[in-house]
Amino acid sequence: MARGSIPILRVANNLLVTVQTELHDAIAEAFQEDLLAAIEKTGAAGLLIDVTGIEIVDSYVARVLADTAKMARLMGTETVIVGIRPEVAATLVRMGYTMSGVRTALNVDEGLALLPRR
Amino acid sequence: MTQINYMNRLRLDERELASRRAFFEITDEDLARLATLRAFGERHSTAIVDALYDLILGHPESRTFFTDERAVARVKKMQQQYFIGLFGGRLDLAYVEDRLRVGAAHERIGLAPKWYIGAYSRYLRLLHDRMFAEMSPADASAAFLSIKKLVAFDMALAIDTYNAANMDTVARHQAAIRELSTPVIRVHHRVLLLPLVGTVDSHRAEQIMETLLLKVVDEQARAVIVDIAGVAVVDTQVADHLLKTTEAVRLLGAETILTGISAQIARTIVQLGVDISTMHTRARLADGIELALGIVGRVIVAKEA
Repeated sequence: MARGSIPILRVANNLLVTVQTELHDAIAEAFQEDLLAAIEKTGAAGLLIDVTGIEIVDSYVARVLADTAKMARLMGTETVIVGIRPEVAATLVRMGYTMSGVRTALNVDEGLALLPRR
Repeated sequence: MTQINYMNRLRLDERELASRRAFFEITDEDLARLATLRAFGERHSTAIVDALYDLILGHPESRTFFTDERAVARVKKMQQQYFIGLFGGRLDLAYVEDRLRVGAAHERIGLAPKWYIGAYSRYLRLLHDRMFAEMSPADASAAFLSIKKLVAFDMALAIDTYNAANMDTVARHQAAIRELSTPVIRVHHRVLLLPLVGTVDSHRAEQIMETLLLKVVDEQARAVIVDIAGVAVVDTQVADHLLKTTEAVRLLGAETILTGISAQIARTIVQLGVDISTMHTRARLADGIELALGIVGRVIVAKEA
């Protein structure tokens, strides 16, 4: 899959992304590049990534998500990841991958509430 | 209750049967010898079974398994069939299956192996006396050794069945306990409480995590209180499980509050060097509830008098 395959929406001063496909290696990398480019272009205050649609998160995908959040912070953008499935959370923790430092929320509403409003 | 197939459970196939026969040293000569004694067996079956039940009904504990006359008459009849079966001259899977039924029936009524083994001992003595009374010493000795092998073979089957049935019972109980052991209670809108009681091993910890995570998403909970006041032992392993659960709950977007930390537990956790500084902790459940309500934007206020 090519770059630009995951739509990035702009809502007020935030970016909203809903991942509805499994993030295997090639997509994950393109996804990260797309997001960072969008942040650079828009100077968004917040980034919300909804992962409700992802059923399988391996350590690679988890790292891409966590790294993206760290990179976004360096650019002054707060990231919230919402909708991690119970089985995904259990798997990540079992692998010892807790994505520390990444903010999480139960759903899009709550995620948006965590993002800066400016 | 569903009838369990002990033949499968004990993997009793031709190979296993051959292996057992070899170990108990039961030869075709043994079986042939026993077959020739069938008439002997039939002649003595009533007297021997009666004498066996004199032992069983004469003991204050074993007697309690056979309360009414009719039941005694029925089991005596079954016992006679069993006894004559020893002189069938065959030892195949059908024989084994028949023996397993006896073991399973005894497990169902809770007849412990000690009663079997004692009864078998009486069986052998009764046979011994009659064989030596009727046969030449050489024949009696050979016949007695053959029957002893077969009785040992049967005893092993009975005990294996008893064991397997017991293990099934334990497994069923464990499943029931597991089901009961993770009650996730909704104490307020978007606040869950998980009171942990008993021993937390790895298996149960996994179960707890899975149940709790599903519930968090179902209830869209913001705060989860885990009360460990009832946990028997909090060691490094338990603390590690609690940390993992907290991390997983956080990934979903909720917070965990650990309550019920007694002085003893606090001491243990610090002495073990477990870092639980990432968790909210409170000594009492009441304080945990207050904190949880704060997370969902509620406060407890005193009613004005």
